[in-house]
Amino acid sequence: MNAPDMLPHEKAAELLPWLVNDSLDEVEKVAVLEHAHACVICRRELVDLEQLRDSIWHASASLPTPAPDMRNINARIDGLINRRSWGRNLLSRIRDTRPNSWRIAFAAQSILMIVLVGLLLWPEPEYSEFTTLTQQNDLPDGLYVRLVFSPELAQSDLSTLLEEFALEVIEGPSTRGVYTLGMAESSSVEDRDKLVMSLQADSRVLFAQPVSRESDR
Amino acid sequence: MTGAKDANEFALLGRVRRGDRGAFSELYRLYHPRLYGYLRRLLQDPATVEEVLDDVMLVVWKDAGKFRGGSAVSSWVFGIAYRKALTSMRAERRYQAPLDHSTDAETVASADKQHVEWIRAALIQLSPDHRQVVELTYFSGFSYQEIAEIADCPVNTVKTRMFHARRRLKVLLPALAGRDKEQDRERA
Repeated sequence: MNAPDMLPHEKAAELLPWLVNDSLDEVEKVAVLEHAHACVICRRELVDLEQLRDSIWHASASLPTPAPDMRNINARIDGLINRRSWGRNLLSRIRDTRPNSWRIAFAAQSILMIVLVGLLLWPEPEYSEFTTLTQQNDLPDGLYVRLVFSPELAQSDLSTLLEEFALEVIEGPSTRGVYTLGMAESSSVEDRDKLVMSLQADSRVLFAQPVSRESDR
Repeated sequence: MTGAKDANEFALLGRVRRGDRGAFSELYRLYHPRLYGYLRRLLQDPATVEEVLDDVMLVVWKDAGKFRGGSAVSSWVFGIAYRKALTSMRAERRYQAPLDHSTDAETVASADKQHVEWIRAALIQLSPDHRQVVELTYFSGFSYQEIAEIADCPVNTVKTRMFHARRRLKVLLPALAGRDKEQDRERA
């Protein structure tokens, strides 16, 4: 049972990973520890999280770090500086030169040539990949749905909903609150479509769509 | 991150902004172990790690003037690394072969080593966003506010991603799952 001024279980539970990495401020740390002292679920979770932290550290210790080698980055910076100073030199030479008709004609011709060559060599602009909410990007084989939950839905209710529909969070939430949820391996495309219809009718869900594969289209 | 440490990094970045190559070398050497460790744990190929690390530091060199000091220098640098790593992870995910867990289990001798292998295998199966939150918390030691700055998302999104990453790790990690089953049996 929580005392009236004690941190609610849900708030304390979500801060546990940062209690374990010792990055909470003093006020939060005291509040989470106070809650954990009275909550058996959080105490058990703390033990699991400490084990996870130790295992991650253990796993990282076996990955050697090479000595910094700045040759490549220095060459790239030199290239940047050279390109900039070449441009500056050209401009100052043009400024220092007394104009006469031949020089002006030559300069104009050179600029025109540079512009034309530049246009020919200009790389294709890198457009960001266009994706829709129903598109399967780099997900492994399987059936997925994309969902946006009602903002009022608490974490525990969200977990209940996932269990109710046998769904697993694969990705998300994105910055727009979109989740990618995986279905059980034995599910069929028909199961998925029925599930999407049920989710769309559910007041806890704002948006639900199947994730399309090439073969579905 | 201590205030003095951040002030020193802020001063170094100021010198980098004025084109000081010595200050850049110092900053590079300061961040190399942390960035290498972070990227090496996210990306499979050591050559890609070096390449991405240099890409990150080149952005630091070019954009030092854009840093306004609204966050810690480390959050800004790791924010660049986060975005570069995400792009590389998505590319790796698209082309990488699935892990062969049976071979892992056969070749790893001790229980500790096996657990470390399980951890690695489980982390690889998390989505890039979930994995980054776990790595930034447990490997790099960032607070949730710093991770929100790094990932450029609200703090609640960070907490929710961590919540789901933890849930998924519990399913994925055979050791933890096994222990949970034992506990369930004890409770019953």
